[in-house]
Amino acid sequence: MEILGSLTILNTFTLAELEVGEHFLWKIGNYTVHGQVFIVSWIVIGVLLIASLAATRNIQTVPGEIQNFMEYALEFIRDLTKNQLGEKEYRPWVPFVGTLFLFIFVSNWGGALIPWKLIQLPSGELAAPTNDINTTVALALLTSLAYFYAGFKKKGLGYFKKYIEPTPILLPIAILEDFTKPLSLSFRLFGNILADELVVAVLVLLVPLFVPLPVMALGLFTSAIQALVFATLAGAYIHEALEGHGEE
Amino acid sequence: MFDFDATMPLMAVQFLLLTAILNAVFYKPLTKALDERDAYIRNNQATAKESLAKAESLVKEYEAQIAAARKESQSIVEKAQAEAREITAQKTAEAQKQVQTQKEQAAQEIQQQKETALATLEQQVDSLSRQILEKILGPELVK
Repeated sequence: MEILGSLTILNTFTLAELEVGEHFLWKIGNYTVHGQVFIVSWIVIGVLLIASLAATRNIQTVPGEIQNFMEYALEFIRDLTKNQLGEKEYRPWVPFVGTLFLFIFVSNWGGALIPWKLIQLPSGELAAPTNDINTTVALALLTSLAYFYAGFKKKGLGYFKKYIEPTPILLPIAILEDFTKPLSLSFRLFGNILADELVVAVLVLLVPLFVPLPVMALGLFTSAIQALVFATLAGAYIHEALEGHGEE
Repeated sequence: MFDFDATMPLMAVQFLLLTAILNAVFYKPLTKALDERDAYIRNNQATAKESLAKAESLVKEYEAQIAAARKESQSIVEKAQAEAREITAQKTAEAQKQVQTQKEQAAQEIQQQKETALATLEQQVDSLSRQILEKILGPELVK
């Protein structure tokens, strides 16, 4: 990324520059963590917590503005989970799937809408936490754990029957699925968000004003869709683990 | 780009914490609020339906009462009319009877008076004819 970095020096408007692969590293014992990811994720979490607390601090039968908004969000999440998991099973999974959606959505939009460039870090740059592969893999692995947990809790060891259920021939593919699911989940989200930020950054480098705006709008759209896709797929995987093959 | 480090497990833990906290401050209370509102609306609807049914049955009852009262009043009116007719007929008959008796009485009286008149007339005829004879023949001859 050095070539692009040298381009920014020529550019007098440094509204955006590309620093992919550079991190604001913190050291905890022998381990390093990406500080910029955590800073933004804390802001995201803060936004979610403040909105939730503001909505539930004084719950009324006839909701006020913020309560109404959060109820709308909750109903959206409940519908999403219900569509995937079915009327009977969806309730205990609403918090997990819903938090996936809210966290990814607020992260994506926060990364796209807040001018992080105005805050300088010693190295790396602030951006959506979801454009770091660590975040997306963490979420994807949690999804895997969640659907394994759902399957084991419902059927015990009988959950493994689904690997050989229609026919044992498909066993390798069934096992492979458990690896491709988190892989595709994490890379889809990571790739979309990072690519969107890169496209916007490159366009801003080339034509600083107005031209990147449609791409930014498209980016907002993609971000929302990606959050929806991640949550929907998580719900679908959990549903699959709960139902098993050929047991509809 | 693909540098994994401690960010990943920490992010996972952080996310689980977020899920737990949001469950406590967001999902649970708001779900409860939504369910309570659902129950409240359902209850209200049920009571409203009940009172509507009650009102409808009351209306029906009142209508039946009105119909009965109307019928009763009609029968009373009819009865009264029949009574009135009867009374008039009776009165008319009585009056006619009275008139008849009066007429008969009058006729009887007339008859009587006629008879007396005829009787007196006969007497007078005798005396008159005697007087005529006297006048014509002279009083000596008549005796």
